[in-house]
Amino acid sequence: MDKLQPPERKLFSFKLPLKVVWTKRTKADFRTGMLFLSPWLIGFLAFTLYPMVVSFYYSFTIYHSRRAPDWVGLQNYKVLFTDDKFWIALSNTMYMVAIAVPLGLFASFLCAVLLNLKVRGQAFYRVVYFLPSIVPTVAGTILFLWLLNPQVGLVNTLLAQIGIDGPNWMADPQWSKPALILLGMWGMGGTIIIYLSGLQDVPQSLIEAAELDGANWLQRLWHITIPMVSPITLFNLITGMIGMFQYFAQAYVVGGGDKLGRPLNSTLFYSVYLYQNAFLFLKMGYASAMAWILFIIILIFTLLLLKVSDRFTYYAG
Amino acid sequence: MTNIPASSSTPNLIQQPDQGRRSEKQSRKIRDLLTSTISHGLIIFVGMFFAVPFLWMILTAFKSDQDVFHSPPRWLPYDNVRVDVNGEQLPLYNVKIEDGTIKQLAVIKILEGIGTFVDPANPGEILTYKLQQGAERIAEPIMEVSFRWQNFPDAMNRGSRPGVGASFWVYFKNSLIIAFFTILGTLISNAPVAYAFARIKFPGRDTLFVIILATMMLPFQVTMIPIYLLFNDKLGWGDTFLPLIIPTFFANAWDVFLLRQFFRTIPEEMCDAARVDGASEWQIFTQLILPLSTPVLATVTVFTFLWAWNDFTGPLLFLNSPRNFTMALGLQDFQGQKTIVWNQLMAAATVFTIPIIIAFFFAQKTFIQGIKLTGSKE
Repeated sequence: MDKLQPPERKLFSFKLPLKVVWTKRTKADFRTGMLFLSPWLIGFLAFTLYPMVVSFYYSFTIYHSRRAPDWVGLQNYKVLFTDDKFWIALSNTMYMVAIAVPLGLFASFLCAVLLNLKVRGQAFYRVVYFLPSIVPTVAGTILFLWLLNPQVGLVNTLLAQIGIDGPNWMADPQWSKPALILLGMWGMGGTIIIYLSGLQDVPQSLIEAAELDGANWLQRLWHITIPMVSPITLFNLITGMIGMFQYFAQAYVVGGGDKLGRPLNSTLFYSVYLYQNAFLFLKMGYASAMAWILFIIILIFTLLLLKVSDRFTYYAG
Repeated sequence: MTNIPASSSTPNLIQQPDQGRRSEKQSRKIRDLLTSTISHGLIIFVGMFFAVPFLWMILTAFKSDQDVFHSPPRWLPYDNVRVDVNGEQLPLYNVKIEDGTIKQLAVIKILEGIGTFVDPANPGEILTYKLQQGAERIAEPIMEVSFRWQNFPDAMNRGSRPGVGASFWVYFKNSLIIAFFTILGTLISNAPVAYAFARIKFPGRDTLFVIILATMMLPFQVTMIPIYLLFNDKLGWGDTFLPLIIPTFFANAWDVFLLRQFFRTIPEEMCDAARVDGASEWQIFTQLILPLSTPVLATVTVFTFLWAWNDFTGPLLFLNSPRNFTMALGLQDFQGQKTIVWNQLMAAATVFTIPIIIAFFFAQKTFIQGIKLTGSKE
């Protein structure tokens, strides 16, 4: 584990521009470079660095929108740790990160394996699996509210036909998150495509060699395919996790705007509670503290995943 | 799928070699058929999970008001049969009249349990019946499979709330305007930045590249509040499209990364040759790199459209008055009403989805390529 990770190595090995020998040539190159970079440099300063600094400052203040921020030190952070709703929101989000993300990856991989089978109509099936992922989030969420309607929804009707008494889905605190997970899995076409392209990159020679050695389909999947696509799994795991920590639009639509978190705070996710604090309760300082805690959680999880994954990820070449 | 078991099947040792080969061939054929059937079965079974909700959105969009809440729901949309009586389209009902026979009558109105009917065969005659006679309801609408296209204009012509003064057409137009400028800003600003990271050597480049990649990990929530206050309070851009459009003119990590990956595949010797010939970096970028980059620029265009069209959080933060709503906001507002008109809601959702579906079928390869480019960074 003492081996440095690629991103870390990058982080710690850069040369400061100060060490550069400034000749007429490098000065000119630098000027050209900066000119090309200027759109991003300005954007970075105005829409990333400045807001970061300000938000960090706000997190130590009580700031009710129009009134000037009032410095209170660590108070926001202290209050957060005793705020029940903060813990509810965090655990709801962790539920999604721990269950929805791995489940989605697993299901995406299986779908990709299915779509990689040589069958007639393969191209058509791929389109069918992919299309839901480009349905706009708000439209998809509303569609699922309709499909999962407890009384007249299609899903419970179909369940009733095979003798199952369907749950109340989005109206039941026990079932609202599973309903959202279903919605997420419906739109996982993008991940399926990434896996599919990974499957196509698995060298045919490896599979044939294993076949000659008498490995069956499942053994080949387990010993060749899964290790070969492990970098993709890591990438999808990290992006999926970062996205899930910021889960917002779907929960906002389910909450109908004015009943955020319903039923019984079961869809009160971290970003939803943060939004509520910032723009409905106008506790901008408190919300900023929440944002920084979120950032730190994401950083820790990402670095942890990168470190742990070193053992499980196989990089060819 | 596997050839090994097929060739190792040896129940035919006593048979003639020729027969043996034939039956072996046959058993392989059966095996292949079985494998293919199971594969198809699995793909279709899982595919239902993806296809049925999508179809249900479209089918619901075509349902009549009576049919939406029909229990149990029917797959195809049904509507009341209508007949022309004196130039008016009236719904047709099966009515049980006094002598017990059932007659097809058109309804003029139903008020407080009393229906006023007219016989289409004899338009002069007006009949009134009490609909509920004892335990029996004497009039039932005659339904037929019929796609109610009228839901689409009805949904688009209405606002998300009653008396809101803006229709879904306005929301649609707003979404288009925002998407257009977002694409413009993204294309103009990201390409030069990506070129500098890909092909210009200058001190500090690698440091800056690490920084731009690191911004991908930064959650929007961290910068959201100061950006909101900056645009809304300091610049007074609240309730305009500017906060959604202006930042896209200043590049972003995802598109820079995508473009840089592509630019790096263009042979460096070409750039060097141009440099030797005295071309400036700007000339190389505009006259050499950009013309070679149409595929990746198409990818960026399609994905930016997708992102801008889909975006919910941005418009939610900055747009307050319904005349400035985007489709995403309008749809959410429509859904949040007390009584939900599901068929019109699904019609609006379908209209919201159509531009993306069109984009997908026109640029299928571009779509898939883009997903692979973003996904295969390792």
